[in-house]
Amino acid sequence: MTQALDIDHLTAHYGSTKVLEDLSLSVGAGELVSLLGASGCGKTTTLRLIAGFLEPTEGTIRLGGRDLTRLPAHKRDIGLVFQNYALFPHLSVMDNVAFGLRQRGVAYAERETRAKAMLDRVGLSPLADRLPGALSGGQKQRVALARALVIEPPLLMFDEPLSNLDAKLRVDMRVEIRQLQRANGTTSVYVTHDQEEAFSISDRVAIMNAGRIMQLDTPEVLYQRPANAFVARFVGFENLIPMRVVSRDGEMVTAEAAGGARLSLSQERFGAIPDAFTLATRPDGLAVTSGPGADGIPATLGLRTYLGRAYQYQCETAAGHLVANGALSTPLEPGGTARLVPVPDQCCVLAAEDGTR
Amino acid sequence: MLKRYTGWTLALPATLLVTLFLVLPVAATIATTFADAKGVLAPYLAFFASGFRRTVLWRTLEISLATTAISLVLGFLTAYVVARAPGRMKSVLIIAAVFPLLTGVVVRSFAWLIILGKNGILNNVLVGIGVTDEPFSMLYTQGSVIVAMVYLFTPLMILTLVGVLENIPEDVLQASASLGASPSATFRQVVFPLAVPGLIVGAVLVFTGSFTSYATPQLLGGERQMMMGTFLYQRAMVNFDWVGASTIAAIMVVITVAVVLAMTRIAKRLNPMTT
Amino acid sequence: MTTRPSPALIAIAALVYVFLVGPLVIVIGASLSDTTYLTFPPQGLSLRWFENIFEITAFRRTIVTSLQIAFLSTGLALLIGIPAAYALNRYRIQLPSWLSTVFVLPILVPEIVLGFSLLKSVAVGASFPIFVSLLIGHTLLVLPYCVRVISASLASFDFSIEEAAISLGSPPAKTFFTIVLPNVRAGVIAAFILAFITSINDVSTSLFLTGPGISTLPIQILAHVEQFFDPTIASVSVLLMFLTVAVMAIVERTLGLTFLAK
Repeated sequence: MTQALDIDHLTAHYGSTKVLEDLSLSVGAGELVSLLGASGCGKTTTLRLIAGFLEPTEGTIRLGGRDLTRLPAHKRDIGLVFQNYALFPHLSVMDNVAFGLRQRGVAYAERETRAKAMLDRVGLSPLADRLPGALSGGQKQRVALARALVIEPPLLMFDEPLSNLDAKLRVDMRVEIRQLQRANGTTSVYVTHDQEEAFSISDRVAIMNAGRIMQLDTPEVLYQRPANAFVARFVGFENLIPMRVVSRDGEMVTAEAAGGARLSLSQERFGAIPDAFTLATRPDGLAVTSGPGADGIPATLGLRTYLGRAYQYQCETAAGHLVANGALSTPLEPGGTARLVPVPDQCCVLAAEDGTR
Repeated sequence: MLKRYTGWTLALPATLLVTLFLVLPVAATIATTFADAKGVLAPYLAFFASGFRRTVLWRTLEISLATTAISLVLGFLTAYVVARAPGRMKSVLIIAAVFPLLTGVVVRSFAWLIILGKNGILNNVLVGIGVTDEPFSMLYTQGSVIVAMVYLFTPLMILTLVGVLENIPEDVLQASASLGASPSATFRQVVFPLAVPGLIVGAVLVFTGSFTSYATPQLLGGERQMMMGTFLYQRAMVNFDWVGASTIAAIMVVITVAVVLAMTRIAKRLNPMTT
Repeated sequence: MTTRPSPALIAIAALVYVFLVGPLVIVIGASLSDTTYLTFPPQGLSLRWFENIFEITAFRRTIVTSLQIAFLSTGLALLIGIPAAYALNRYRIQLPSWLSTVFVLPILVPEIVLGFSLLKSVAVGASFPIFVSLLIGHTLLVLPYCVRVISASLASFDFSIEEAAISLGSPPAKTFFTIVLPNVRAGVIAAFILAFITSINDVSTSLFLTGPGISTLPIQILAHVEQFFDPTIASVSVLLMFLTVAVMAIVERTLGLTFLAK
C-alpha cells in the first residue's frame, strides 16, 4: 500500500523567479523525511509541487513508479495536512473526515464506519457532530490528520502542521503524528522550520536553502557531521575557524589558526584534512580556559551570559568573533583574557571556501 | 485616560442627525397612517381593497424577484470567473464592474431608452436584418423595466460575490482537491455552500433596491408599469394624497425591513465562518 | 483558486461585461451625434449637444446645485462620520452594540421614503428652507458610507501606535490628527469618493426636496427626458459621468492613491 517517492531534477519558477533548482530526493516506502529550513528556502514549494498545486518547469515526480508530474491535483491520491488545518467550515467533523471517502465513491454506511474508526484513533469520537468553528487548535489538527489518514494514501504530506499550536501541544502532537505514521507505515514528507521537531521525528532530514537541498541525512549525521558551512551553522556550529596545516606526521596533522594558535587533529577521526580548511565547533566544543598553558586560541572576553549548565562568553580573537562556553566553577569577567581550546570530539572539518566569513 | 463619555461625545452629532431627521420623520410618516379619521387601519384596508393598488404591489414584487434572480445568476457566474482571474486582469475586471456603478441611475436607465425605443438600436437591428417589418414596442413593458433593473444591479452583485468568493480560504480548496474532489465537485460541495450566505446578502440588496426604486420604473415603465416608488410619487405630488402616500411608504418600509431582517438572520445561521 | 474556469463560463462572463459596458458606450456615442434626435451609432460627430447643456438655464443651475450639495453633504458626513467611526472602534465598550446600526439606517430605509418624510416633517412641517432640507437628506444618504468605510479602515488600524505617541507626550486630540487620520487616509478617500458619487447621482431622495430654483442635475435630466428627449440628455449624462470620474481622479492624485477594495 505504501509507496516510495522519487523526485528527479525538479526545477520550478514563480513567474520569472527561479525558486527551486535541480532538486532530487528519494523517500523510501514507509520513511518519514523532513524538509527543514527557514521561510523562503523552497520547502513549501517542493511540497506544493508534489501535491500538484504548482507545475514544475523541469523534472519528474514519481510515486510508487507512477508518474505524477502532469497529473491534476485531485487525481494524485496524496494525504495532505495543512498549516491552518483547512477544515471545511460548513461540514461537521465527521463529514470533514469522510470527505475524501465520498470523492472515491465509498457508500454512505461504509464511509461513516471508517470515518468513525479514524476519529476513535485520534481520540475525537465525541466531537463527531461538531463544526470546526467550535474546536480548539489541537482538535482541529487531529481532524485534519484523521481526514488525510482515512483515505489510506500511499503518501502523506505535512505542511508545518504544528506551527500554529502552542509549545507544549506541539511536542505532544509531533509524538502522536510520528506514532500514527509508524503504525500505518505510510511514506511521509514533513515540512517544518523547527529543527527540534524535524530531528525528533524523522528518519532523514533534508536541510534546504535557496531552493536546494544542502544535506540529506539522518538527524544524527546532520547534527554531528554537517557537510558544509550552511548546515553546520544551522545545527548550531556557531564557530567557523579558518585553519592552515603547518605539519603532517603520518595520520596526525598540526594546523594553525590566525593568531598562531595550534591544534593537532587525527585524520583517522576527521578523514583526510586538506591544507586549508575550516574547523567548526559549537560553543560547547570550545572551552574557555584561564589557567596556565599555551594551547588554544587567545581571546579577549566580552559579554558573559548564564546558560544554566555553563557560562557562555562572546570572544574576540585573531580568528574573528567566537562564542565559547566556560565552567560554572570559574566565572570570568568581561575584558579579561583567556584561551579557547577546541574539544576534538565536538569539532568538524569543513572545506576552506565554505568557511570564509 | 478613558473619559467615561468620550465615545458618546464623538458619536453624538451623527446619532442626533439620524434620530432627528430620519427616525423621527419616518416614524411620523408611518404614524399618520394610523391617525386617519376613518379608523386606525383604514388606509391599509383601502389600499388592499383597491385592485389597482394590489396590482401595483404585486407587480413590484414580481419585478423585484425577477431582477434579483437574474442578477444573482449573472452576477455569480461572472464573479466566479473574476475571482479566479490572474492579478492584473482581475483588477481590470473589477474596475470595469465598478465603473457602471459610478455613472448613476439616470444614465444607466436612460441608455435603455435609446436601445429599446421604437427608433432604438435593437429595433433598427431587427428591422435591418429582416426579422420583422414593424418595429416592436418594447418600452413601458414589465420586460423593459426588468432589463434595465438587471442592468442596474448586476455590477453590485458581481462585486459582492467576488468578495464572498475571495473569502473562501485557498487552502480549503486545496484540501478538497487533495482529497480527490474534481473542480466541479469542489464547486458543488465546498464553494457553493460557503458562498450561500453571501449570495443571500447580495440578493437582499438587489431585492430591496429594486423594490424601492423610482428612476428606472419611471423612465422605462411610466404609468403603464407603475411600481411602488412611482406610485408613491404620484400619490404625493400629483394627487396630494399624503395619507395615501404615507401608506405606500409604510408598506415599503415594512417589506424591506422584514426582508432584510429575515435574510440577515438566515445568512448568519447558514454561515459557518462567522463565530 | 488555482484552476482556470471553463471556456463556457469565461464566454458568459465576457457577454455580461459587454452587457455592462455596452449601454454606456451607446450613451457616449449618442451624445456626439449631429442629429436632433437620439440615435446610435451617431450620425455625424458634433459637440453641439454639449454646448446646448450650458444654454439651458435649468441645467446650468442644477449643475451648480448638485455640486454644492455633493461637496457640502460629503463634507458634513465626513465631519460627523469620522468621529462616530472612531468612537465605534476605540470606545466600543462605552457604546451600545446597536449604535452601529443607527448609522446604517439610511441604507435600510428606502430612499424615497426618506425623501418624502423629510418633505413632510422638515421642509413643510418645520418650514426648513428647501436647500437645507436637500442638504440634510443627502448628508443622511451618504453618512453610512462614511461611517462604514472609515470604520473598516480603523478596524485594521493598530491602535498601539496611537498609545505610543501619547506615551511620548503628544496630546490625544493632536495625536488623532497627526497619527490616526493620516494612517486611515485611504479609507477617508474611499469614503469621500463613494459619498460624492452617491450624492451627485441621487434621484430618489432629491425627488421630493426640489423647489423653486432648487433642483439637482439627475432630477432635471429626468424632467428633460419626459419633455424633450433629444441628445442633450445623452450629453448631460456624459457630463455627469465625466464629473464623477474627474472628482475621483483629482482626489486620488492630490491625496494619494487608493486601493479598490471597500
